Amino acid sequence: MKKKIIFLTLLFLTIVSHSISLEKNNKLENKISKNLRCLVCQGQSVYDSQSDFAISMKILIKNKINKGESEKEIYEFFRTQYGDWILYEPNLNKNTIFLWIFPIILFIFGGYLIFRNFFKK
Amino acid sequence: MIYNYLGNYSLVFCLIFSLIIFFLCFKSINDPRKIIEKNIFSLLFLQLLTIIISFFSLIILFVLSDFSNETVYNHSHTTKPIFYKISGSWGNHEGSLLLWLFVLVLFIFIFSLTSKKHPKKYRIFTIIFHEIIVLGFIIFLLSVSNPFNMNYPIPYEGLGLNPILQDPALAIHPPILYLGYVGSSIIFSSALAALVQGYVNKNWASHIKKWIIISWIFLTLGIMIGSIWAYYELGWGGFWFWDAVENVSLMPWFCLTALLHTIIVLEKRNILKSWTLILSIATFILSLGGTFLVRSGILNSVHTFANDPSRGIFILIFLFIIIFLSVIIFFLFQIEESTSRKTFFLSKETSLIINNWFMMYFLSVVLIGTTYPIFLEVLTSDKVSVGPPFYNKLLIPFLIPFFVVMAFGPKLQWIKTKFSKIKYTNFFYFFISLAASVFIIRYSEAKYLFSTAIFVTSFILLIKTIEGFFEKKNNFSQKLSHFSFSIFILSILLNGAFSTEFSANMKQGDELNINNNSIKFINLKTLNKNNYKTVITTFEIKDKQGRILKFNPEVRIYNQPEILTSEADIKSNIFSDKFLVVNLLKDDGYFNVRYQVKPFMSWIWFSIILLTIGGILSFFRKI
Repeated sequence: MKKKIIFLTLLFLTIVSHSISLEKNNKLENKISKNLRCLVCQGQSVYDSQSDFAISMKILIKNKINKGESEKEIYEFFRTQYGDWILYEPNLNKNTIFLWIFPIILFIFGGYLIFRNFFKK
Repeated sequence: MIYNYLGNYSLVFCLIFSLIIFFLCFKSINDPRKIIEKNIFSLLFLQLLTIIISFFSLIILFVLSDFSNETVYNHSHTTKPIFYKISGSWGNHEGSLLLWLFVLVLFIFIFSLTSKKHPKKYRIFTIIFHEIIVLGFIIFLLSVSNPFNMNYPIPYEGLGLNPILQDPALAIHPPILYLGYVGSSIIFSSALAALVQGYVNKNWASHIKKWIIISWIFLTLGIMIGSIWAYYELGWGGFWFWDAVENVSLMPWFCLTALLHTIIVLEKRNILKSWTLILSIATFILSLGGTFLVRSGILNSVHTFANDPSRGIFILIFLFIIIFLSVIIFFLFQIEESTSRKTFFLSKETSLIINNWFMMYFLSVVLIGTTYPIFLEVLTSDKVSVGPPFYNKLLIPFLIPFFVVMAFGPKLQWIKTKFSKIKYTNFFYFFISLAASVFIIRYSEAKYLFSTAIFVTSFILLIKTIEGFFEKKNNFSQKLSHFSFSIFILSILLNGAFSTEFSANMKQGDELNINNNSIKFINLKTLNKNNYKTVITTFEIKDKQGRILKFNPEVRIYNQPEILTSEADIKSNIFSDKFLVVNLLKDDGYFNVRYQVKPFMSWIWFSIILLTIGGILSFFRKI
């Protein structure tokens, strides 16, 4: 009887933990596929697209997550395979440095202009 | 057939009238006789008439499915419902530009009707600048995008309208958005005219404010309708993708919103003249630049439906002419800033200027994010994508101080507010907000510190805007708009924090359990409709409490052109939207099923409508 209970609890726990990790993986899979561009579509993410390309990408992502690869590793894999175009979040490198800092520079410059024109008289 | 000629020749007449108006305006500047002014006015009316005839000719061509017209042939089909035949007339490039021109001419006519108490020369100059834009568009239409090109021999059947455009929301989306865009053209020409005439003052501000509000209302509504459409038709539950075409409509919105606030400073304090003019000009240039980006097809977007490079070049040249013209005029006619009293840091002006500061920052993020990949590709031939993570990272942190300023700014007085006037109740608000935020964050999976900060500030904003309703100051429209904006922000945040989704591949008869919900694929049936075949599926979803909801998402197979679309089934109530969408998979009988629960979805739309109601009230406000 005791054995049976232990067995059942263990079974229950494995099912629960399995379904929890499944749900977690599903979430991660969605997150990653949202941040990847579907290369054969017009401006759609892999997540939003139902093209053959996107479907096979999703399967690939799923496999990679199940293999235990981290989110970063998966992005890096796709980047080396397909180039920067596939990532919705551009990496910080010499090509994109201005993309990232130019708005900030403008913001600071705007603040300076406001200060100079209004309060320093 | 006859309507082709009618439409085409009335466009030609419109061009001629435009030239005559142009000529008469210059004549009237040095000629005080009233009769010329009257002539200009009647010519504006005639011009409006020609464009109405032209526009309705196109609609009639679409209704009759007259395929001797190339535009109709390319974008319509006999089996299309009548409603979409009509909306199809502006759902394409040529027709939408004709609509643009129609609104341009309509607005200048209304402008000349409603501006009679303003100086004559200012009005004449506005008409001159506006007719330059009108001329540009007529030439554009007649040269490279004529909606009345003829087909010979006449085809029996048209190519059909892209089925995802066959939708009630998208039928009204372009006209409303265009009213917003084109409204900014009136602001543009009147700003240049005011500059030339030295009429940039309080009078001008309160006069042009009405046009700013009108454009702002339509632009806001237009963006919203587009977003709703994307939510149920295009998106798999998303409503904003940071897609290039969406960004293009958002950019003039930021500029216009900044202008909406600056014009108040000009109206009340008679300062910030140059800045107001820069914003007025920039809004229109962004609208025009947006049209260029969308129509030229250099953007990679979900919303790119038709494009042609030669048209892009035309708009680009036109855009440069307009920019060149406004820069020259801006530097030729210097404005004298009135040397009014000193502005103190703690004042309403400061908060409005800070509003502008942030709006310009948001604008620059979106502008750079949208155009940077284009420039990079031209210069280095490297392709990068700029998507949602970029915008989230650069925009959201800046929202925190923005909300704080927005919460306290409207409470300040003009010129100077004493620090001691700030009440201690604010500390109390802060703690309530903090408690609420911590409570929310605990139940979501958001990042702790950062999300808490953003939730706290938006709750403070909500509380302060509610507090505003109990104050005596009689500015209901502003209070309502700010209140709805805070609701809007909170709904988006809560929606983001608590949305859940699940996707799986299922076939008929399958049942799945996720988080105590069960999804059951009951059956499917195929129906033949007039212009499409549809597969209607039935799902049952049992939630934690055992309530059963039935969903009937569809997959449609349109005949002309042959395109598959998914029609989501959305069950909305006050608290959340339940969203089920299916898609055909290649494996026999299997469907990709995606089920989402999205809390506060309808609040997002509702708050935007409330926001525009605030705008409408402000429009009818006296003073």
